[in-house]
Amino acid sequence: MDDISDILNDVSRDPFAEYDATYASIDRGRLHSGQADLQALTRAWINERGTTELLPWPRDGLIERVTGLVKLQIETVETMTGDMDPKTNFSLIIIQTEVERWKFLIRSYLRARIAKIDKHALYYLSTPTLQERMSEMEVAYATRHQQLLHNHYLSSFLGSFPIQLQNLNDTAGGISMIGGPDEEGAVFVRGLGARGGGDEGVVVHGRSTDADGEVEVARGEVVVARWADVREHVERGEMELV
Amino acid sequence: MALPLPPGLTPAEVAFLCEMEMVTVVPRQRLESLALIGGPTQPLRPPHRAPLPLWLALLLKRQRRANILPPPWLLPSSLERILKQETEIDPQGFSSPPPHPYPIRAVPSHTDTISPPFLPSSTADAPPDYLPYHWLELGEILLEACSDDLQEPGRVRTLLRDLREVRMAKMRGSTKDLQGGGVSSLNGVGAMEVSEGRAFIVGVMDGLRKLGSSRETARREREEDEGAGGGGVSDEDEEMGFE
Repeated sequence: MDDISDILNDVSRDPFAEYDATYASIDRGRLHSGQADLQALTRAWINERGTTELLPWPRDGLIERVTGLVKLQIETVETMTGDMDPKTNFSLIIIQTEVERWKFLIRSYLRARIAKIDKHALYYLSTPTLQERMSEMEVAYATRHQQLLHNHYLSSFLGSFPIQLQNLNDTAGGISMIGGPDEEGAVFVRGLGARGGGDEGVVVHGRSTDADGEVEVARGEVVVARWADVREHVERGEMELV
Repeated sequence: MALPLPPGLTPAEVAFLCEMEMVTVVPRQRLESLALIGGPTQPLRPPHRAPLPLWLALLLKRQRRANILPPPWLLPSSLERILKQETEIDPQGFSSPPPHPYPIRAVPSHTDTISPPFLPSSTADAPPDYLPYHWLELGEILLEACSDDLQEPGRVRTLLRDLREVRMAKMRGSTKDLQGGGVSSLNGVGAMEVSEGRAFIVGVMDGLRKLGSSRETARREREEDEGAGGGGVSDEDEEMGFE
């Protein structure tokens, strides 16, 4: 139970308040809400693992909701454990296996994000738009991370520099000191169909060395492209990383 | 280090993903519906078939509580047809992926944007003539866990190996057409193939981009000067304008 507590600690808000509100407002058709969350979380995880740039934090309360669901399920398991009937025992194994799978997904997702924030903390803190991509917890984490790093640099070498050379975010001479992720890096993406409805594919404006061109990516087709060219489609849900 | 892995899924993560695929099982014991987080499972009543996620089917199989029905594309006859398609009919591209089982209708639905591993591409009524996205992992897992449920497991194993070699050669061949950008299609590629080929393909594309970056910047500046009137119009728009 120890390892789940560190995930649950990541969520400060009450997950169930949001949980009820979301379920009342969104029509999910015939799909079970847990299944919808599983599909959303899986996609968010693959997307996050597929690119070097931090993707926007899901604002619909997905992570808060699924951590709440996992917590609830663990409580069920705990009450069921007293029952030593071999039949329920087997059901318990299945339920626990599923809980472990969810926990892996959530943990890997959060860790992938923290790894990216660690790498370019100053970059994601540098503008309000970039800060928007992080959850409150992540902003707090990144700020603290940057503070520690800056203090460490100051005490180890930066303090003995002339004061005008002590900045870590200088943009003098048109070159920014703040390093960000490689936005032009190649990624594997799958088309999910254009948002306009119908069977049309997504039209991607692909830039290349010698010529640029518009390419239609059909539903279900896997292509390789530059991240900057497909980013807007991924954020709109017209494509997913693979 | 929070996660010391390069971008992209590792083979173990791809296998984890593959275990979310739905397969059809024939239960040998009753099992009531279980309230899992991802939705309730179907109650198992022998001998009625039921769809279950692969991880659960494997758990039941290991305890001999169920048999797994192999998907139709994993039959030797189907694999032979697909291998013929890959080697003789279209030796260049990958064989096409299964058609999307949920066509887009006028009313928006949650199935519109659904994608593997949540498509029912490996259940007992999946189409037999296409390799689904997780074909290699699913084939290997089933050969490992329930070769007694497969028809001629030895032949299936050989055919899967042949397919894998043919397709790996195609994957390597596809790097010849890569450029420093643009959009290169790998239609029909499998998850494990992406995982294996990613580092190389991404390396080639990023390398070419860096080599050609000064040329690209120069071209962009030139185009901007030429199309100063429109400002930032694409090639296509310019051509239309001259007609």
